Amino acid sequence: MVTVSEYWRPASLEEARELLARPGAVALAGGSRLGGSRAVPPVELVDLQALGLAEIEDRAGAELRIGAMATLQQVVDCDAAPEVVREAARREEPSTLRAQATVGGCVATGDAESELLATLLVHEAVVHLGDGSAPDEIPLEELLAGLPLAPGRLVTAVTLRVGGRTAAVRTARTPADRPIVAAVVRADDGVRRLALTGVAPTPVLVQPGDPVDPVGDFRGSAEYRRALAEVLVARALEAIA
Amino acid sequence: MRDIELTLNGVRTQVSCAPGDSLLTVLRRLGCVSVRYGSETGETGAAAVLVDGRLLAADVLLAAQVDGHEVTTVEALDVATGELHPIQAAFVESGALQSGYSAGAMVLATKALVERTPDPTEWQIRDAFSGILDRETGYVKVVDAVKRAAALLRGEKPEPMAPVLVEPLGDGPGGPPPDAPSAMPRLVPSPDVPPTTVVGQSPPKVDAVKLVKGRPAFVDDVVPRGMLYAKVLRSPHAHARIVAIDDSEATALPGVHAVLHTFNTPRVKYASGGQSWPNPHPWDQVSFDDKVRHVGDRVAAVAAESLDLAEEACRRIRVTYEVLPAVFDELEAIAPGAPVIHDETDTEGIHDAQRNISHHIGGQTVPDERLDAAFAAAEHVFEQTFRVQQQQQCPIEPHITIGWLDSDERLVLRTSTQVPFHVRRMVAPLLGLPVKRIRVVKPRIGGGFGGKQEMLLEDVVGHLVLATRRPVRLELTREEEFVSSRIRHAQTLTFRTAVDGEGRLLAQDLRVVGNTGPYATHGFTVQSVTGQRGLSEYNSPAKRYTADVAYTNRPVAGAFRGYGAPQALFALESHMDDIARGLGLDPIELRRRNWVRTGDPLDILPQLGERGATEIAPEDMPRVTSCATDECVAQARRAIGWERRTDPAWRQPPDRPHVRRGIGFALCMQATAIPNLDMGGCSLKMNDDGSFNLLVGATDLGTGADTVLAQIAAEVLGVQVDDVLVYAADTDLTPFDVGAYADSTTYISGMAVKKAAEQVRERIALRAARLLGLEDAGEVVLRAGHAWSRDGRSVSLGEVALNALHVEDQEQIMATASHVSAESPPPFAAQFAEVEVDTEAGQVTVGRLVMAVDCGVAINPTTASGQVEGAMVQALGYALTEELVLDEAGRAVNARFGPYWIFRPDDTPPMEVYLVQTMEASGPFGAKSVGEIAIDGVAPAVRNAILDATGVAVNELPLTPERVWRALHPQPAG
Repeated sequence: MVTVSEYWRPASLEEARELLARPGAVALAGGSRLGGSRAVPPVELVDLQALGLAEIEDRAGAELRIGAMATLQQVVDCDAAPEVVREAARREEPSTLRAQATVGGCVATGDAESELLATLLVHEAVVHLGDGSAPDEIPLEELLAGLPLAPGRLVTAVTLRVGGRTAAVRTARTPADRPIVAAVVRADDGVRRLALTGVAPTPVLVQPGDPVDPVGDFRGSAEYRRALAEVLVARALEAIA
Repeated sequence: MRDIELTLNGVRTQVSCAPGDSLLTVLRRLGCVSVRYGSETGETGAAAVLVDGRLLAADVLLAAQVDGHEVTTVEALDVATGELHPIQAAFVESGALQSGYSAGAMVLATKALVERTPDPTEWQIRDAFSGILDRETGYVKVVDAVKRAAALLRGEKPEPMAPVLVEPLGDGPGGPPPDAPSAMPRLVPSPDVPPTTVVGQSPPKVDAVKLVKGRPAFVDDVVPRGMLYAKVLRSPHAHARIVAIDDSEATALPGVHAVLHTFNTPRVKYASGGQSWPNPHPWDQVSFDDKVRHVGDRVAAVAAESLDLAEEACRRIRVTYEVLPAVFDELEAIAPGAPVIHDETDTEGIHDAQRNISHHIGGQTVPDERLDAAFAAAEHVFEQTFRVQQQQQCPIEPHITIGWLDSDERLVLRTSTQVPFHVRRMVAPLLGLPVKRIRVVKPRIGGGFGGKQEMLLEDVVGHLVLATRRPVRLELTREEEFVSSRIRHAQTLTFRTAVDGEGRLLAQDLRVVGNTGPYATHGFTVQSVTGQRGLSEYNSPAKRYTADVAYTNRPVAGAFRGYGAPQALFALESHMDDIARGLGLDPIELRRRNWVRTGDPLDILPQLGERGATEIAPEDMPRVTSCATDECVAQARRAIGWERRTDPAWRQPPDRPHVRRGIGFALCMQATAIPNLDMGGCSLKMNDDGSFNLLVGATDLGTGADTVLAQIAAEVLGVQVDDVLVYAADTDLTPFDVGAYADSTTYISGMAVKKAAEQVRERIALRAARLLGLEDAGEVVLRAGHAWSRDGRSVSLGEVALNALHVEDQEQIMATASHVSAESPPPFAAQFAEVEVDTEAGQVTVGRLVMAVDCGVAINPTTASGQVEGAMVQALGYALTEELVLDEAGRAVNARFGPYWIFRPDDTPPMEVYLVQTMEASGPFGAKSVGEIAIDGVAPAVRNAILDATGVAVNELPLTPERVWRALHPQPAG
């Protein structure tokens, strides 16, 4: 557990924004990543559970608006969500943490290995920020490139475009392990988007043949990750060809 | 502090908590002890509870988050004494609980799943359970329990759990393999095994009810009043001298009661491995040393009013270190110029401290000249080097000890240990207490796997209890469990083998460098067992074993299921496959020409004994006394579909051109107890109603030992298992037992139970004969709770007991017995693995595991097959993922479950277990051991399957995607 000096549960977005502007304030979504190291100095947690942000809204079958506090399990269970997104949400965490972790939390933490973020990227996800500033909607890829969120900023929802042909491929140590590298592709009306995990500090959109510059770790060196990116991109493209 | 209100198990509950308190902490404070600590990151699921009907991990939820919500723990189902909810009944019936540490979470997960999905598929079950790691069962019987529970709740009556009987195959091909749920073991009976009533059955585990109800049973579930919390300050350096410690700021904190370190505690040398007296030298440890030798080594210990305070005190201890160069690799450690890890002057018995060699081990069956001549003359000589890694035991319950002074001012240590009697003897001198002033109690244990064959926390807790005169609790965090407890020895193994033109072995030469970390606790014995196991499976006229045990600055290696055998058999069974390829022989056929059978000598064993080489007379040569290797191989080979290896369409699926498939085999052999050393004691006492108290020192870690021992007693006494009340492992109350290791419990402790029961049976028969008016007590037979005469009259055991205790010639019918064996009859097994290899990316996916085990007679086929399943999954982690990785400074980079990765329910391939009976004359009712052998074969079988699929040999574990990719795509030199 992180060291927590205060716990707030605001009832409105305005209140949440005010609290998040306090020094040391951190938004608490599901809380599945609270574990592990003890943060020093302590943090004030602003729990977003009472803000009514957990709805998933199907917009005429063309767009899906996922509230920031929708859990990954809600996405898994959502028939209107694209299949690769549902499967990526399932793969993101084991059952317990999946019922706790939220889409907003996933977006705001920008995990390099997140297949869910990669699938959101190819579905042209736009992130809604509840800070009242303009613009309060930015493409996911821009948000990920600018992480961490500035103080007072808050993800309220993510909207994605549905439809198109998609494929997701990955290499991992075991069937349920987080991928070392994963490639997700979507083609729709001549638009083709391709995203990779495991080759940059967050999942990224790439063009086939783009050079990638991963940092290696014990699961895969930089050289291996580059090789995987090439193999998996080719395989994903072939799958939707 | 803030007040929150939740509905807990249907009751509105107000509780005051700090903003950072986890739900786990608060629920345990409220008495819901079924919610248990496994880590602080949510992956283990030991702390999973239902929040508004959803299964969530209470260790990563703040209590404040559930303010206003509904929380359910398994205590909610405990509504009546002696009654189980259908879900709980299903878990008991399936044998799905081993230690039962996470039983509450599993029952709740089932409840949540079947309420949503009344008839879940296997995949839905596995997905729903993906948040509950089980290090014990291999998930096979857990899945079965959920299916069974769902059926019960639908009003159906599921098939009873029973072994599937399979005809022996002999040399014939047989028909298709049996089609039955994988949770049911396939039992191949032997005509040599006499019929039994309770032995060979699978009654519910004797501890099942308390486990499945989540009742207080584990160390942390019972907390003494006024308890302090301990925390150990750990070294941030891999190798450093402690120059000075300033503890003034820590001791000044209100609520801190003791701060202990090298400058205020006595320097008593010891070795922490839980082994028989006298513990092997070198005794290279001190409770608080003036040097640290790995990241995570002990520096100081604090006892304080709360865990937060103890942690704060640790942060305020100022330590001045002189940082020294460190070495992590076993080969570098013994090379010239390496930093000397034990430069102190008071450690005796290090083989060569200047070269960091704690032990040099040698053993050979012929002189060097004969071995050299065999190699020189051989038609073929094969030589290969293998490297294996540090794998952590990962019991879901970490090490934990709670100690206090009882009203007689004796020190009581209630501790999660495999070796309570060794702990009492070993901790005494460190604390300056005589053994008689210490009592060690082992309650239920949440898994051990060897990591708890160690005196690891008890000295720290003892020191703190004596310093504060207050009860003290010390529990390791998950990260500490990874880096500061014990771990499997990494090794570099080189096999050299001489073979003739027909594939018969002429000579075997195995050289090993073992990595014991900075302390040699099990260094000598583990590396000895590597030699025993590496050079016993096959007949060979000349064998030589040489090993150096290297000190390094890695985390400390110790005992781990298999105990040197998994390393040896990865090397040996990989090497044998490569020899078969070299000779153009079928890999099974090459082995068949060489494997040992009944009567064959195990001639390396006397050379590599626990207490060094011994001269033995030829007639005393240990030999294989029972062996069903041929039948095991035949059964498992048929079950895996070995002949598919020759089908091109199977090997290379046409729709996935980058995939290759293969099947690998490994032969396995373990030991059963340490001969002439391991001893178990038992005492058995008859009660007024004809029931019995069985008191044993044997240590059930979740293995089912208590149940197996009760079955043995019940079989002899002609009663049911529930007439035998087992109490185990309390140094004040139960007879001595070496503890749970070396595969000894069923074989050694079981024989002690059998002997004691036979003595009690004799007393009962005498008295029953009198009551029945019989001349000859030898005529009396005990069956179905009665003593019977030949003419069919009987008297109940209750009547016998009342007569003995109250009526005439009053006596307490009881007996004490102990057992030690001169033999160590090996179990044998055939392990097969089927894999798919992604040849472009290096990913290996194991499709299926089959193991056929000859463990003699399985006393309890359900628990025996559960041991095999659990060990196979642990072994799968050894094969594919598990390795504690250090950075250049010696800090672990993956000391948590996510990145380290142990297999999950939604990850684990289908498995089948065959139990092939043999009648082992020296074991109780024919039993040999089963607890360890199944961890030996998966890694080499997977490695050999990759070789079969791709033609590429990978000789280093784990077989990660990158390693396999590099083998498949060799980079140009430079």
